[in-house]
Amino acid sequence: MIDNPYLPHLGHLTAVEPLGTGIKLFKVQFDDPAVARQFVYEPGQFGFLSAFGVGEAPFGITSVAGIDQTVDFAVAKVGTVTHALHEMNPGDVVGVRGPMGNCFPMPEIKGKNVIVLGGGIGGAPLRPVITSILNDRDNYGNLSILWAARNPSLLVFTDEYDVWRQAPRTQLHLTVDEGNASWSGHVGLITQLLQKVAPSPDNATVIICGPPIMIHFAITELQKMDFTSEQIITTLEAKMKCGIGKCGRCNMGEKYVCLHGPVFRHSEIKDFLESFV
Amino acid sequence: MNFITDAQLRGWLAQLIAESTVIAPRRAGEDLLLYQPVEDPDAICYDFGRSTVSPREFFLPATEALLTVERVRQATAGDGATAGNARVAGQWEVKLTEPHLQHDQVLFAVRPCDVHALTALDALMLKEPADAYYAERRARTTLIGLACEQMGPSCFCTSLGLSPDDGAGMDVMLYRADGGYILEILTDKGRVALASQAPVDFEGSRPQRAWPEAAYQVPPRAVWTERFNDPYWASLAERCLSCKICSYICPTCRCFDVRDYTVAQAAGYQKIERLRCWDSCMAEGYRRIAGGHNPRAAKAQRLRNRFYCKFDYYPADFGPLACVGCGRCVDQCPVNVDITEVLQDVAAR
Amino acid sequence: MIEQICSIAEQILADKTVDVVIGYEAGTRGAVRPAFIRSAAEAGRLVWNDACTHNLANYVREKHVSPKKGAPPAKVGVILKACDARALNVLLRDNQAPRADLYLIGVACQGMRQNSGFAGRDLGDLELRCQDCAERVPAGCDVVVGEAPAAGVAPASAIARELDRLAALSPAERQAFWDAEFARCLRCYACRQACPACYCVECTAEQLEPSWIGVAIRTPEKRFFHTMRAYHLAGRCAGCDECARVCPVGVRLDLLNAWFRREIEGTYGYRAGQDATTPAPLASFVPSESLDL
Repeated sequence: MIDNPYLPHLGHLTAVEPLGTGIKLFKVQFDDPAVARQFVYEPGQFGFLSAFGVGEAPFGITSVAGIDQTVDFAVAKVGTVTHALHEMNPGDVVGVRGPMGNCFPMPEIKGKNVIVLGGGIGGAPLRPVITSILNDRDNYGNLSILWAARNPSLLVFTDEYDVWRQAPRTQLHLTVDEGNASWSGHVGLITQLLQKVAPSPDNATVIICGPPIMIHFAITELQKMDFTSEQIITTLEAKMKCGIGKCGRCNMGEKYVCLHGPVFRHSEIKDFLESFV
Repeated sequence: MNFITDAQLRGWLAQLIAESTVIAPRRAGEDLLLYQPVEDPDAICYDFGRSTVSPREFFLPATEALLTVERVRQATAGDGATAGNARVAGQWEVKLTEPHLQHDQVLFAVRPCDVHALTALDALMLKEPADAYYAERRARTTLIGLACEQMGPSCFCTSLGLSPDDGAGMDVMLYRADGGYILEILTDKGRVALASQAPVDFEGSRPQRAWPEAAYQVPPRAVWTERFNDPYWASLAERCLSCKICSYICPTCRCFDVRDYTVAQAAGYQKIERLRCWDSCMAEGYRRIAGGHNPRAAKAQRLRNRFYCKFDYYPADFGPLACVGCGRCVDQCPVNVDITEVLQDVAAR
Repeated sequence: MIEQICSIAEQILADKTVDVVIGYEAGTRGAVRPAFIRSAAEAGRLVWNDACTHNLANYVREKHVSPKKGAPPAKVGVILKACDARALNVLLRDNQAPRADLYLIGVACQGMRQNSGFAGRDLGDLELRCQDCAERVPAGCDVVVGEAPAAGVAPASAIARELDRLAALSPAERQAFWDAEFARCLRCYACRQACPACYCVECTAEQLEPSWIGVAIRTPEKRFFHTMRAYHLAGRCAGCDECARVCPVGVRLDLLNAWFRREIEGTYGYRAGQDATTPAPLASFVPSESLDL
C-alpha cells in the first residue's frame, strides 16, 4: 500500500497535566525517533489524536517544534473521544496523525505589533504564536495578549503568565465573564477588554482564536477600531473525520478547514459563502 | 478494434471469475439492479439502463476497516524501554495492522457515467496525500465498460459535457453489435485482462450515435454565488426528508464517518477495528461538534450545500464537477427533489 | 374534489386559521410531491389524485414551530387520508402537537397506486395497504372532502396473505428471509425519516454514548436497526407504508411493521391511531393491569 495517511504514528503520553476545569494538556512522545524527527510542524497546525477503541479527533498543536520536547495537545472534555482521552494516564499509548493544515504566517508578521486574542480553549493554538515570538523577541514589535475565559478556572496556561508578563515589550490582559472571590482582575467579555486596551492598528496584526461567536464579535469590534481585514487572522474549527481533505465534512463553502485552513485571514473569511459561526 | 462474440465473452468472463472478483450487474428484485460479485457469467444482466445503486461501493465500500488495532498488556517492566519512555509493567502495547484488498477486481459492464464519476473522485481521493485504500482499489480494478445504446429519461450526462458511449477512463470498452460486441482495448491493464483471449480484429469503427441535444446547462460560478442566500433553498428543502438516499446511490458522493469499535476482548487483550462508513451531508447531525454547535442545523442549509458541493465547491477545489448526470437521485428521491429542476431554477432566477 | 380542497385551503389561509397548508402538488416528470402553501393565491398549486400517497402528517411537527423568537408556533393545515389521520392521532396522543393548532382536512380516498411520488414511474396497481383498507374516510378531521365509497369496501387481505406465508416459515427460514432483505439495506434512514412516528431528536441507532448499534453498514447492525425500529413502532405504526415506498432497495418494511401490527391487534385488541387518546399498549404502565399467566 502506498503511504497511508490514515495510519497513526504511535506514541505514548509522557505527561497529562490539568490546564483548567475539564481541560488537560497531553504531552506525546513518538515511539519511533525517526517519526519524531520528521514530525515538523508550525504554529497553527493541528493533528488527530487517537484514543484507540473510541476514535480520533482533531486538536490544535500547542507545543512548538524545536523548543518543546514533546508534541502537546490541549483537550477539553466535551465528547466521546475527549472523554476517553481524559481517562488516560502517563505511559498510555496514543496515535497521532499530522501535522495537518496551514499555519500562522509568522515570517510575514515579523516586525509587526502582534495582538493575540484567546478565548477559553482557543488559547491552545495561540500559545505557539506567543512562544515563537518570545523566542525570537527582537524580530517582532509589541506583543499584546488578551486572554479570556468564562470563569477563572477556565483560563489556560496560567503557569506561563509570569513569563509572558516579564518578556520585553509584552503585555498580558486577562478577563473573565464571571469572577469569583479570589479574582481581582477585569470582569467582562473580551470585546470589552479590547475596548479598554484599545490597541492601535498601526503596523499591527491580530490573531484570534476562541468560540465562533467570540471570533465574530471580536472581528466586529476590531473593524470599528479601524483594523483592516488583511490585519485580522483567525483559526477556525469544524467537525472533521480525516483532516486531509477527503471526508468532505469540514467545508465552509468551497474552503475546507483542514486543507485551506485552519488559519484564515478575515479578508478570505468575509468571502465565505457559508458563515463560520 | 476487435470483435468478441457472445460465446467468447462468456468464456472470457468465466476465466476472469476464476482469477479475480468479477463485479457485474444483476437483477436483485423487480425494480432493483445492482452491481454484485458474480460466480456465474449467466447471472449477469445485460438488459439495463443503469444500476439502482452506483458501483462506487467497490472503490469506497459502505463499510471498511481502515485499521486493526491490537492492545496487549505488557507482562513485565522494561519491555522495549528507552530513555525517557514512561513504560511500566501493566502498560498496554499497541500494534496497528492495515488491511489489504484480498483479490483483484473486475468491474464488468460499467457505464461511462459511473467511470467518469471515478475519474472525478480521483481528483480528490488521489490528490496528495492519496487515500491509500481507494488508491489500492482503483489500481487493482479492471474496468470493462458497456456503452449505452440510448439515454434514459432521467439521464443528463450530455448536459455535463459527457457522452453515453465514451470509453474515457475504461480499460476495455464494449459496444453492442450483432452476435457480440465491438471491443476496444484502451489501456495496458485492459490488454493484460484479454491476454488469454483471442478476439478477432474488427475493421470497422465503433458505432457513432447522435445523442439528443443537452437539455440542461450548469450555471457558471458567478450565478451560484449570487443565488446562495436566495429563499429558493428554504422552499426547496421544505419537502426534503433529510434521508441519505441521494448521497448513498450517487456515484460521486464520498463523505464518510470514522469510528473505533472493539471486536474482541479478553484479559490483557483488546482488538479494535477503526471503521470507515458512508455518511451524508444531508443528515441532521453531520456537522454537529462535541459541545452541540451545529452550523448546518437547518434542512435548507444542508440541501443547498449538496448542490453547491456538486456544481460549485468541488470543481473549484478539485477540477471536475461532482455530478455525472446519471439521474439516480432524480429517480430515487421520494419527495421529488429533482437535480435537473434545480439546475433550471438556479439558472432562471 | 380538488376544487373543494383548494377552496378550503384558500379560506383557512385567508382568514389566518392556519399559516401553512401541507398538501400535494404536481412535481417533475409526472411525480406528485408534498406542497407547502402559505397564501390563498398559491392554493391553486394543490392537486388530488391516486398518486397522493405521501403521509403528510410527517411534516406537521416540523411546521409547527415559531417563525421567530417569542412568536407563537405556526398553525398548520394538513391534508390527510385515513391512514395519515391514524398517524396524526398517534402524534396527538404522544403530545407532539396540540390539536388546537392544527386544521385537519380529511379527504375520502379511493386508494393510492404503487410507484406514486417518484419521477418518471408509471403508476401500478393499488398499494397493498389500499387493497386492504376498510376505512377510506379519515376520522377526527375538521372537515372531510368526498364521500365514503358507496358500496362499502371489501378488503383484499393482500398483506394478510403475505403475513400468513411468513408465519408458515420456520424461524430459520424467516430469519433467512429478513437477512436477505436487510442485506440490501444501505442504512440511508429514509424509512425513519419518512415515518411520522419516528420523531426522536436523537435516534438510538445514531447514539454514541452508549453506542447501541455502531455506524457500520453491515448485516448485524442492519438487523439490529430494523428490529429495534419495528419494536419502537409496535402499537404506534399506523400502516401508511411510507417506509417501504421510500426504500431505494425495496426492503419489505411494510411487511415487518404489518407483522407487529397483527401481534398488537391480536394481543391487545389495539390499532395505532384508532383515536387520539387511548394510550399505546407498550407505552403505558397501568398498575391495575395484570397478565393472565
